[in-house]
Amino acid sequence: MILYQGIIEENSQLKTRLASLKDDCYETLNHAHPLETDWVIQACNQLTQKIIAKQFDHIIQPLLTQYDIPEAHFKHYLKMFSQEALEQKVAFELNPQSMKTTTDETHERKLYPLGILFHIAAGNIDVLPAYSVIEGLLAGNINILKLPTGDQGVSVTLLNALIQIEPRLKPYIYVFDVPSTDQETLLQFSKIADAIVVWGGDDAVKAARVMATANTKIIDWGHKLSFAYASLDASDTDLKALAQNIFSTNQLLCSSAQGIYVDTRDYAELDRFAERFFNIMKGMHADYQPVPLGIRSQHTLELYYEQIIQKDTQKTIFKHREFSVVACRDQRLEPSLLFRNVWVKTLPKEAIINTLKPHKNHLQTASILASKDSYHSYQELLIKAGVVRIKAPNEMSYTHTNESHDGMLPLRLYTRIVDCVVPRNDLNHKK
Amino acid sequence: MKKNALKKLLRHHDPYDHTGTDQWFTEALTANAAHHATHCASYEDILKQFECDLSTIQTVEDIAQIPPLPTVYFKRHQMHSAPLKKMVIKATSSGTTSGKKSMIGMRYKDLYNGFKMIWKLFKYHKLWSLKRVNYFIFGYEPTKHVDLVNMKSANGFTYVAPAKKRIYAMRWDNASGGFKVDLDTMKEGLIKAAKQRHPIRTIGFPAYTYFLLKAMQEEGIALQMPKGSLVTIGGGWKEFYTEAVDKQAFYDLVKQVLGIEEKNIIEFFGAVEHPVVMPDCEYHRIHVPVYSRVIIRDPETLEPLPKKAVGIINFLSPMNQTTPLTSVMTDDLGILHEGCECGLKAPWLEIIGRVGMKDIATCAQGAETLLNKTR
Repeated sequence: MILYQGIIEENSQLKTRLASLKDDCYETLNHAHPLETDWVIQACNQLTQKIIAKQFDHIIQPLLTQYDIPEAHFKHYLKMFSQEALEQKVAFELNPQSMKTTTDETHERKLYPLGILFHIAAGNIDVLPAYSVIEGLLAGNINILKLPTGDQGVSVTLLNALIQIEPRLKPYIYVFDVPSTDQETLLQFSKIADAIVVWGGDDAVKAARVMATANTKIIDWGHKLSFAYASLDASDTDLKALAQNIFSTNQLLCSSAQGIYVDTRDYAELDRFAERFFNIMKGMHADYQPVPLGIRSQHTLELYYEQIIQKDTQKTIFKHREFSVVACRDQRLEPSLLFRNVWVKTLPKEAIINTLKPHKNHLQTASILASKDSYHSYQELLIKAGVVRIKAPNEMSYTHTNESHDGMLPLRLYTRIVDCVVPRNDLNHKK
Repeated sequence: MKKNALKKLLRHHDPYDHTGTDQWFTEALTANAAHHATHCASYEDILKQFECDLSTIQTVEDIAQIPPLPTVYFKRHQMHSAPLKKMVIKATSSGTTSGKKSMIGMRYKDLYNGFKMIWKLFKYHKLWSLKRVNYFIFGYEPTKHVDLVNMKSANGFTYVAPAKKRIYAMRWDNASGGFKVDLDTMKEGLIKAAKQRHPIRTIGFPAYTYFLLKAMQEEGIALQMPKGSLVTIGGGWKEFYTEAVDKQAFYDLVKQVLGIEEKNIIEFFGAVEHPVVMPDCEYHRIHVPVYSRVIIRDPETLEPLPKKAVGIINFLSPMNQTTPLTSVMTDDLGILHEGCECGLKAPWLEIIGRVGMKDIATCAQGAETLLNKTR
């Protein structure tokens, strides 16, 4: 499906649309009224109201079920698109006050959109592509979106709904369903764009870098890894809260805990800690939807393999039908098997930086499960190692309004600062 | 006595008589496990680790005690009961999505036993023929450059009936140093063969066969192949799990484009980690031949499950004495059924799909959805 200036078309129109895309984008820059942030905010606000009024339940409800998102979480995320929240976001990220020069009046400094953004969206959550475009719009840009493979049409529906509410957004939104293998088309998009906004794993980011010409920026929202850091005296309350994050997100989000680092060098202590966490999970698993059979079978095989090679790896495996905790003997930060399979590794406080720093730009959220006395020293080391969010264990995947994204402010990245000399006449006039 | 069990199994007149061969199979299997344990230290270690005492395996009900090795083990470790130089075939699987390949070895006697197995099975399915046929192989042209088990089995298959001509879909290209897919030559060959009196046999991956026939159908080509022509497919439908191509649609396509009846389409199920060929019956069901037993294991506990339950497929076979393929746990989910309209008493295996699929919510629901899909 293609969404081109408010018209939904079949993919067969790709060639025709590609031929005119650049001219149409330039035409918008030449003659269209510059995109006003307020149009976007009002349109998002109205769309949010419609979603609350259940007008989009036919696409929203299947998503909530598919990703096992509780209604309360969804409502929280929806609030982020309300007028109030978006106004706050724009004010905070694009803060006009910070642009004021203090030195003299001969220059004006203002933020302008980069111009044209090419979004390569990831497929792990269906609303993400639309979200990326909304951020691009808030910063005033023309947006070209490449849908992820297997997109179910949610993004086109939502973006089209925005256009229906605010038709002036038409020349600022272009959505294409092009496969990642169609390098030639993707290259055309990137040639037109000022920046490529890429979501996805390292491979997607690398592919975007290869595609980008020397004068095309890359803004990457790559995959991140998150984990918990615990001292041996971590409270049951904290461990339960962490288990809640693991069960409710299935470890699928960048912010989900993949495993737990424990401040110890002693494998026997590590095993006891792993068993303790395993028992806590055992007491909670029944409260969550079961993992699909196909996925559980895959884990059974992986863990069975681990059992066979146990004499070499010396790992201690605690396996339940629905989840597992594996106490490892290495310290490598790695994704878990996902879907409630947690690794537990030793990481003495002194080794935090040396172990984690090499994972620069891959680190995202950490939760600290420790007593007050040691909490701050752990926090300082984790931040020095590169972590950008420290969260309560059950809130690892919870985003507050106005939070940065992987330590960055997206709207800032989608804009440029323009310094303009104030023409002499204007200055004289002012005087 | 045990040494002769495999011989007796291979000599048995009915390749689908489980009841009559259960005891020989059990003896041959334990003898095979013991052989590997003697010649392969890591296999012996695994038996010890799982406290498997082969002497306690007396009946076919006991064979589940032999610890199955997951296919991932063969992909990550090399494990052999014979030195590499003694192997006549060192075959690798065509690889999975993870890109890792298993290395499976065979010695002369494995091949010889394999031949005896194929002799019996092909005789049962009336595949041997003295009539010369034109072979269309939807697979790789044999070359010294690459060592793939599919290639070997496909090429071996062209001797089942004498070959008039062999045309390959994937031909070695010296210029690029790789295989090139050449379906045009296949298409022209098929059109030519329809006008001749020699029957044809197609062999190979169903995906390629399907794509070529689909393209021919779109061009409006409808041929009538000579009597005695066969379409044989192997290499699995795994490419189709995501494409959701209905098998019936494939059979209809074959009838429409090649004029070959559904009963003359034979699918061979096999895996590089499992040394037994399994041709399907006229109702397209994969019956387990006597050279193999299948245990369906619980996807969570790996305990053996009763018939009709969905679980992980575990193949057991005494057919390979070079690599410990005695009991192999596949990455596939399946169901073992009893009773078939074709009259065979041997249980038949339904393949549900690869583990890791997200769309099987529960055992019952998964089976139902997928059964509906394949019917």
